[in-house]
Parts: sequence; structure tokens; C-alpha cells
Amino acid sequence: MIELANISKNFGKVQALQGVSLSAEAGSIHGIVGENGAGKSTLMKILTGFTSRSGGEILCRGKKISLDRPSDAMRFGIGMLYQEPLDFPQLSVLENFMAGEAAFAPGQARADLARLAAAFGFVFHPDNRVETLTVGERQQLELLRLIHGGARLLILDEPTTGISERQQEQLFAALRRLKADGAAILLVSHKLEEIDSLCDTVTVLRHGRVAAAMRCPFDRQALLQAMFDSLPERLSPPQTATGKEPVVEFDRVVVTVGRAGLHEATITVRTGEVVGLAGMDGSGQAVFLKIAGGFLPPESGQIRRFGRTLPNGCGCSRDVAFLPADRLAEGLLPGMTLREHHILAARGHIFLSAATGLAGSRRAIDDFNIKGHPETTAEELSGGNQQRLLLSLIPDEVRLILMENPTRGLDVQSADWTWQQLHRRKAEDGAIIFASPDLEEIMAQATRVVVFYDGRIILDTPTAATDYHEISRAITGEAGTTGPSDEVGRSGLLPD
Amino acid sequence: MRYVQFMKHPLFSRFARISVIAGLALGGVGLLLFTLGISPVDIGVTLARGSILSLQKFGHVLTIWIPLLLCSCGLLFTFRAGLWNIGIEGQVVFGAIAATLLLREENLGLPAAATLILAHILSFIGGGLWAAFAGFLKNRGGVNEIFGGLGLNFVAQGLILWLILGPWKRAGVASMSGTEMFARELWLSTPPGWRLAPAALVIACIAFAATAVLLGATRFGLQIRATGINPTAARLFGIHPGRTGLLAMAIGGGLAGLAGGLQVSCVYHRLLPSISSGYGYLALLVVMLAHYRLRPVPAICLFFACLAAGSIQLPIVLKLDSSLAGVIQGACVVSALLVHGLQKRQRGEL
Amino acid sequence: MKDFATFRHVLIFLGVLLGVSGNPLNTVAADYPFGLLMVGPANDHGWSQAHFEAGQAMEKILPGAKMLYIDKVNPADRPGITIPMLVDDLVGKGAKLIIGNSDDMKDGIREAAAMHPEVQFIHISGDDALTGKSGANLSNLMGRMEYGKMMAGFTAAMTSTTGKIGYLGPLINAETRRLAAAAYLGARHAWVNVLKKPAAELQFKVNWIGFWFNIPGVTSDPSLVTGSLFDSDYDVVISGIDTTEALVVAGQKKKAGKEVWAIPYDYQGACAVAPEACLGVPYFNWIPGYTKMIGEAMNNKWQQQFLWLGPDWQAINNPDTTSIGFMPGNAMGDPQKKALADFQQALAKGLNLFSGPLNFQDGSTFLKAGETATDAQVWNLPQLLEGIEGASK
Repeated sequence: MIELANISKNFGKVQALQGVSLSAEAGSIHGIVGENGAGKSTLMKILTGFTSRSGGEILCRGKKISLDRPSDAMRFGIGMLYQEPLDFPQLSVLENFMAGEAAFAPGQARADLARLAAAFGFVFHPDNRVETLTVGERQQLELLRLIHGGARLLILDEPTTGISERQQEQLFAALRRLKADGAAILLVSHKLEEIDSLCDTVTVLRHGRVAAAMRCPFDRQALLQAMFDSLPERLSPPQTATGKEPVVEFDRVVVTVGRAGLHEATITVRTGEVVGLAGMDGSGQAVFLKIAGGFLPPESGQIRRFGRTLPNGCGCSRDVAFLPADRLAEGLLPGMTLREHHILAARGHIFLSAATGLAGSRRAIDDFNIKGHPETTAEELSGGNQQRLLLSLIPDEVRLILMENPTRGLDVQSADWTWQQLHRRKAEDGAIIFASPDLEEIMAQATRVVVFYDGRIILDTPTAATDYHEISRAITGEAGTTGPSDEVGRSGLLPD
Repeated sequence: MRYVQFMKHPLFSRFARISVIAGLALGGVGLLLFTLGISPVDIGVTLARGSILSLQKFGHVLTIWIPLLLCSCGLLFTFRAGLWNIGIEGQVVFGAIAATLLLREENLGLPAAATLILAHILSFIGGGLWAAFAGFLKNRGGVNEIFGGLGLNFVAQGLILWLILGPWKRAGVASMSGTEMFARELWLSTPPGWRLAPAALVIACIAFAATAVLLGATRFGLQIRATGINPTAARLFGIHPGRTGLLAMAIGGGLAGLAGGLQVSCVYHRLLPSISSGYGYLALLVVMLAHYRLRPVPAICLFFACLAAGSIQLPIVLKLDSSLAGVIQGACVVSALLVHGLQKRQRGEL
Repeated sequence: MKDFATFRHVLIFLGVLLGVSGNPLNTVAADYPFGLLMVGPANDHGWSQAHFEAGQAMEKILPGAKMLYIDKVNPADRPGITIPMLVDDLVGKGAKLIIGNSDDMKDGIREAAAMHPEVQFIHISGDDALTGKSGANLSNLMGRMEYGKMMAGFTAAMTSTTGKIGYLGPLINAETRRLAAAAYLGARHAWVNVLKKPAAELQFKVNWIGFWFNIPGVTSDPSLVTGSLFDSDYDVVISGIDTTEALVVAGQKKKAGKEVWAIPYDYQGACAVAPEACLGVPYFNWIPGYTKMIGEAMNNKWQQQFLWLGPDWQAINNPDTTSIGFMPGNAMGDPQKKALADFQQALAKGLNLFSGPLNFQDGSTFLKAGETATDAQVWNLPQLLEGIEGASK
């Protein structure tokens, strides 16, 4: 129904997609898989008209079309089900169902909704407000709205994250039925189970290119190999003597923030450890770090840091440093100069003059090789220099460093340098916990790997005792065969 | 020579920007007046004569400038912390009530000077507590400070009406015209021939200096700014955004309360329902016109005070309604917002 | 450079503001400019307009007199502006005498008079000249509106079919108590002595709104108060406030078919708002008082005095001689007109309704049988009278 030929897209110098071709046939389900940053989102944005392509062609029923804005996509019958439902929570089910329709006909819409819901076995009260619905129900409603709006190509982005088993079954049944009715479906997922059971064909993206295209049934091993970069079999993981003192202890911690949340996470990180958190984006790593930092109170369960239970809503402790993924939005103060950042990070300095903190700031700029001067504002720095600035702000007394994507946007030298600094900074009696989409980085830097899947810890093992395949299998939802191999305890709750 | 450089610069320099704002605002108002058949020059001359061209009139201008400056300083604290302190009117009212609490007592047994000092301290505390209450509602109750402040404004207005009509009314009189005048020695003293109390001027200048130091040259000021810029990141620097915001509210409210205290001690010498004189809302315009910066605030306050004081002349001399001054004020603020908005856009597109 | 930023702001604003002016806007030199501060708008069809028109008349009557005026002088309409400031402005424009037309301005006028000993002040409705709270440059002027209010009460009682009369009061003070009591006494006189009905069947209720005119959000809404009086069978409402809401509402009710009337206040032309519902209006005529006081000041014969001027009983509506008047309205019937004329005759001959026995509202004795009230007792009436419903303080 829709054919993509040789699509490419670049953002400045960054090549996000390069020569990607695939076709979505009517009456079939086509899977798209790939690592974080493989180019899946960009591809979907092009298909839905949010982003324009830099090269290549899109054919709809054999005719060249241009997708310059979302309304074009709607006109060609392309509908997308987003990970976060794009609905209006304050409006009623019926009002949401009618949204985007040209004609205002509530009576007709009510009848249509009832008919469609019955056909798919969904249950809706048209006058309930959408905010009272579960994510799964909102997804069902969104699906009906798209079908009602005439969508013949449905794109689903990680549709099963955070929905119940029963809703998942309903969704799969609905998708199979739509397929039988002649719709074309693109399913973006990292859960190979789903791909296996639903898809007729699958395209694997890696680094913006098509790494493989397969027909059903799939060779699981080949699929995994296509998805992830091949790595040297054995990197030498850093060997650090693991101390006995607990730094962070999670005891059955539950939160429902985000799509996946965190389900009964129990884990103890001890002094000397460098823990790498792996998993697809939004599987629970970010939430885990926020809780460990004290920025998010758990809904149930307990956290202890350095043996003390964390008071709720604190987050401003001086022995923990947190380096967020979005450095400018979450970690730095745009509009403030480097000097002002350093003054705030250091102690003392009640009264300030133009010279206050200047020497300290200059020293930090030199030490951390930041391309800027004390009066440069944070937003004027490049991404790599922003990360250096964040590193330079870590106070000396910090014993726990929490990081999201520590080397994102950094070139190889900068990344190496950053890790040297981190290992140097890590006190004997402290620990580092970091999340990274880059398995190589985890294997190279972490002494222990924890893999998140759907808000659960699915694998928790010393780096030395695992390998690259086990981790990639865990990321895609397959529990590893290696058991807990150290006394630290593997406490992730495996799905049955 | 310098002017040529301005013209070359892609963004307006500060000087050029102010000219553009003034030109836009006054040009717009002038055009409006012209179409109504009123001479803008007459208006300008009348306003100037009624405000700066006599020492006595300038005293009146300063009487308005003082509370306006105090309120504007208060708002700088809250704006820097990223908070919209709409409740400032209520804080002025509450400060006035707090000062009146002491000043209306006849037998405190304290010397007049001590009573006055205490009354002004109390007005600061009163305004500060009222603002902190709005901050508390935000931190604990999740009530946006705009709605909380607005609600508290109504509460303060109700409270002052109740006090004036109820417990604090003049003997035998139930009137909106205010409480009994304070004892003469409890007026902030005004030398013969002066039109304002020098002490009030000193208080205002000290408050402005303190604001400049606290916001511009202390760690605390930096923390307030950090909270306003990015509360998420501020926490990484060990700053408690809620607590810092609350403190900014309390200080801002305290300055507004002090303005209220001075309104009773040196302007009206009694408590009346419209004691705030709308200075809180006017100060919001001042601070917006100043683009939330400290330096231009005294000048803009002075300009607004001149308009307000000079506008009395409009009905006397030109038989025009004095609300014209409000039109000029509004036009200035809209022009400033427009210019800042355009600049931002220009910068964004560059 | 930065130090100049602040100055630059001022200079730029003021520079543009001033422009280059060739028109120096000099005030017209007059022999005797005088200033008038009005609490309400100059065209309020009430208290302030009566003053304004008297001020205009002065320019004709007293050659050389020239009025400067500022209206809406109250803290709600002019936030932040005080009486001394306005007086400074008027004096700056050359005013040699200042009139403040509201009781509310008492404190401010007193303060301004102390600041400007060279300028004469007339405070309307105050009594500083009596109590000695001010210097010799401040006099008081008031009309004996008691008579006007008595006529209003008389007409109301003669007209009412339900025997329920409402009084729309402003704020509560000695003046307003005095006037409400006078209206009641007039009504009671008509009810008992003319209509020969028992006093107990007359209901007289005062509702205070809180100020001389409506300030939204601060005072009670006079239109609503009047409406609720009419809705509870009060068929005549006497207005004690400076604006005409009572008559406007009566006119609306009249149009809707209800038999109700109103008696406005202050201004001779007040009935024009709704003539079909207007029984008449007791009004002030400030011309005689102004002429006397300003005339004396112009001729350097100023003396501090407390003037409480009554009607010219020979010609109660003569603008040159009477200080208070009563203008009958279109809605007043002929029998009532005749009875009113008789009543006025009786008053002229010395009928004093402030005569004993009279009790205060709380039952205590105001005047024993045979006693009549002194001017001071009437001026400083501490309470409403027995028979009046409504708050006394």
C-alpha cells in the first residue's frame, strides 16, 4: 500500500536515515525493529508528515506522494498510534472519538463508536472522561478513531508497553482482524515475542540503514545479530574490588510514572561498583535513576542510601550527583554563566562580586578542558562541553554518581576522557550508576550490568559473568539463562 | 559615531530599544489624541507641569514613587524565582493592616518613634506572611500562585472592609472613608513645606539597595535565579526550589507590605479600603516594562509616578479625564512587550 | 557607561513626552480663582452637580470669580491621590479659596488648611469651625436639609398605600442619622396628624449602603437594595445617597406596572431621570451660601464661620435666596400637593418636629414632653429615633 524507496534524512551533518526502503502491503503486518537511535522514530515522523525527508520517494498505491504535514498523512489514510496516546484527557470518550472530524455529528459518532467497539470487543462509556481510562483503553479508543477516520495504514509504536495482558490480547486480535480486512500495519517494537507472533515481514534498522529484511518465520539469532552491533567477544571489563558497604538499596520499590514505571525493584549497589543500566528507552532505567537520586518518591517500597532511609521529596543531598540525559533542560541553568554555576556548586561565598569564584571557575575550565570562559553562559556551550561542565560541577564529597547517557553527543576522545575522569572521581567508598543505550560502553565501563524490560529488572549480573548476546536477548524480553552469580544478589523479578 | 554603531547592530542596543518603546507608545497615544482633536503637546506639557516642574509637585511624585518602587522591588524577587505574584495587592493591604494595628492604639506606652519603627517592621512581616501563605498553598496544596494570590487579594480586601466597617470604625460612624486618623505624633514626620516624609524616601532607597545587593551580589540571589530558570536543575545544585520560592515570596510580600505600611503612616494617616491604591498591579506593569531587570525600575517607577501625579492637572487645565494617564501607561507596557517579543523572535530566527 | 542607563531612561521618556512646545498653556488670569473638590462626578444629577452648578453661577454673580474644579475626589476613583495633593495643585493654579464638598474630606481639608494658611477653605457639612479643630482659614457651610427631608417624608407618607417607607441611606454618621430621622418625623407627622392613622401602622426602614454612591465591590449595590425594598411592599423609597439609583429602579418598576415611587436627593433636576415615578426632590442650593462666603473672601472680609442655612420660606424654590428647596415631582398627586403646601406653611410658622416627647431607637429619652431640640442636639444626633428600623451606628 505504501512504499518507501531509498529514504534518507539528515539533521545538519547527522545522517539519521540512509537509503531506507521498505513496503507495507495491504493485508499484512510489517515489523520494524532496531536499537535506540537506529532511526525508527525518524522514519515514523516522515511517514506521518511531521518531518520532511531529505531524499528518496514515497509511493502510495504506486503513485508518488509528498508528505509535508500531518494532514497530508491523514488524507492518504496513514494513522499512527503513539507511545503516549495523543488524546485530550479532559474530554469525553465520544468527544475524543470525534476529534479531527470535519462534520459535527455527535449522534452519528455515538452510533459509529458503539458499532466499532462492538466489532472489536472493546467496552466504552462514551461520556466518561478519557483521563479516567487506562493507557490500554486510551489506545483502543485511539485505534477506533483512526479506523473511523479512514486510516488504511496503521503505524503502532511500542503498543504493548504498560498495558495489561488481556488488553494486549485484545489489541493483537484487533490487529489480526484489521489485517484480514485489508489494512496495512507497521509495528514498531523491541519485543521479539510480538514480532514473532504478529508480523509477516520485518525490517531491521541499524544506524539509519536497513540491516536486514526478513519474512516469517524469523531466525531469532540472525535478527538479534542484525539489530545490535557485533562486538568483540570479550572486552576486559574493569575489575574493581567490590566493597561490602551498601551505597543504594532498593526494596520492592514501585512507581507508576511514565509508560512502564518501575515494578517492585529490589537491588543493592555496594561501594566500588560501576553499574550499567541497559534496556530500550523508557523501560525503567530513567525512573530508577531519578528514584536513586531522590528526585522521585517511591509509591511503595523503601530506598536506603548509605544506610539511611531517604526522606520524601528531598533530592538535594550533597553526597549524590546526578547527570541527566538532557543536560541543558535538566542539569544546567541556561542564562547563567559558568562562573555562576561553579559558585552554586561550591560551598561558601555568601556575598558575591564580579571576581567571586573566578579563579575556581578558571581552574575547573582548565581541568575539564571546557571550551569556554567563566562568563560564557551554559547554553552557549556545545553538548560535549556541557557534559564537561556537569562533570566539573560534581562536588568532592560526592560518593554516588548517577548518570543518564554519560557520553551522548561526545566524540570518542571526549568519551574516553569522560570515563577516565569518572573512574578517577569515584571514591573508594562510592559507586557509579549509569544508564546507556550503548552496550559497548556498558560492557567496557561497568562492573555490573542490570537490564530493564517493561519496568522490571530482567537481568542483573556482573559484567564478567555475562556476554553481549545475553544482554541483547534480555533487552528484547528474553530472560537470561545465567543465574545470579554473586553474593550481591540478583533480585530482579523475572516474569513468569 | 556611536549612533551609527547602533544602527549597524542587528539587534537593538538598549538605547535604541528604549527609544523605540517610547516612540511606539507615545506615538500611538499621540495619534489617538490627535484623532480625538486633543493636542498631544498640551497633554505632555500639562503632565510635566503637574509633576516635575515644581519642587512641591515633585514631592507628590515621590509620594507615589516610594510605594511603587517598594512593590516593584518585591516583584523582582518573585519574578526572578519564576513566580507570578499577582497577590501583591493583598500583601500591600495586609502590610497596611499590620501597621494600623499598632498605630491606631493610643496607649502603647512606647515612644512614638519606637511605635513607628515597630509598625513598619510589622507591616513587612504582615505582607511577608500573606505572601508566604500563597507560597505555602503552592508548595503544599498545588495551588498555582496566580490563583492563590488572586484569591488572597479578595480575602485581604474583605478583611480590610470588615475592619473599617466593624472593629476599627470611627465612633458613631460606619463609613467606607476609613478609620480614625492616627495621633499626630504617629504620622511619619514631614518637615514644614515638604510634601513627603524624608524617612519614607530613605526606607525606599534602602529597600532598593538591599534588593540590588540580595539579588545581584549574593549566593541567595543566585539561588533565586537558579530556581526561576530551571527548578529541576536547581535541585542538582542542592537548592530546594520550593523553599527558595517561598522565601522569595516572603521577601517580596514583605516589601509590598512595607509599601502598605508607608501608605498608612505617611500618606493617609489612617486605614482606608483602597489603601493599596492599585500600586501592586501598577508595579507588575513597571517590572514587565523593565523586562524583569533591576536597573530600569526606579526610572520607570518615576515615570509612572509622574503620570499619576501629573494627571491631576488634566481635568483642571484641559477638562480631560485623568484616566488618560492610564492609557499612556498601558500603551508603554504593550509597546515594551511587543518590542521584547519581536526581538526574541528575531533572535530565534537568526 | 552603565551608570547613565537610569538617567537615560528618564530623559528619553520625558524628552519625548515634553516634545518641543511652542504653546505655554498659561492659565487664564482671573481676579479670583477658587477651587472646588467634588466627591463624585460633576454630572451626577445629585450632590456634586448641585455644587458644580453653584460654582458656575458664582462666575456670573461675582465678577472676577473663576472656578477650577476636580471631580471624583475619593480614594477609589483616584487611588494614591490625597486631598492635600489636590489642594496643592489648585493653589498652584492660583486658587485663593478651596471648597471641599464632602464630609469624607474632613481630615484632608483640615490638613491642607494647615499647610496653606494663606488660602481660605470651605468644608461642606463639617463642623471644624464649631469644634475649633482647625485654623481661622476654614469655615463650614451646610443647608438645613432637615426641612427638605421632612417634606420628603411627609410626601412619602401621604402617598404610600402600604404604609411602608424605605430610606436608602449612605454611610452612618451624625449627618445621615439626622436626615433619616427628619424624614421619619415628616412621615410620622403626615401619618398621624394629617391622615389620622395610628403611628404603629407606619413602617420606616433605613438600609445603609456604606458610601455616598455605589462603589462596586465595596458598597452594597443601591439598585439591588432599592429593588428589594420595593419587593417587600415598601412602596416609597426616599434616597439619602448622592446618586439616583432609587428613582431609576422606581421608574423601571413603574413601567412594569408596580405602584411605587421614589424621592431622590440633592439636586433640583434629579426627577428628570424618571419623572413618572418621582414624587419630588429635596435639594440643596449652594448659591446663597457660596455667594456669601466667597463674596466676603473676595472683599477681604473673610471670617471663620459655621453657616447652616435654611430655606427661604417665602419662596422655597427661589435660586437666589433659598439654601434648600423642595421641587414637587410629576408623580405627586393634587391632594398631596395641597397637604404639602399646608405643611410648609406650618413649618414656616415655626412648627418644630424635633419636639418632645421623642425617644431614641434604643428606647432612651431624646426629648421630654414640651422640650424642643437645640441646633447642636439635631446636628449631633447620636442615634436614630424610636419607630425607625435600621442600624444606628
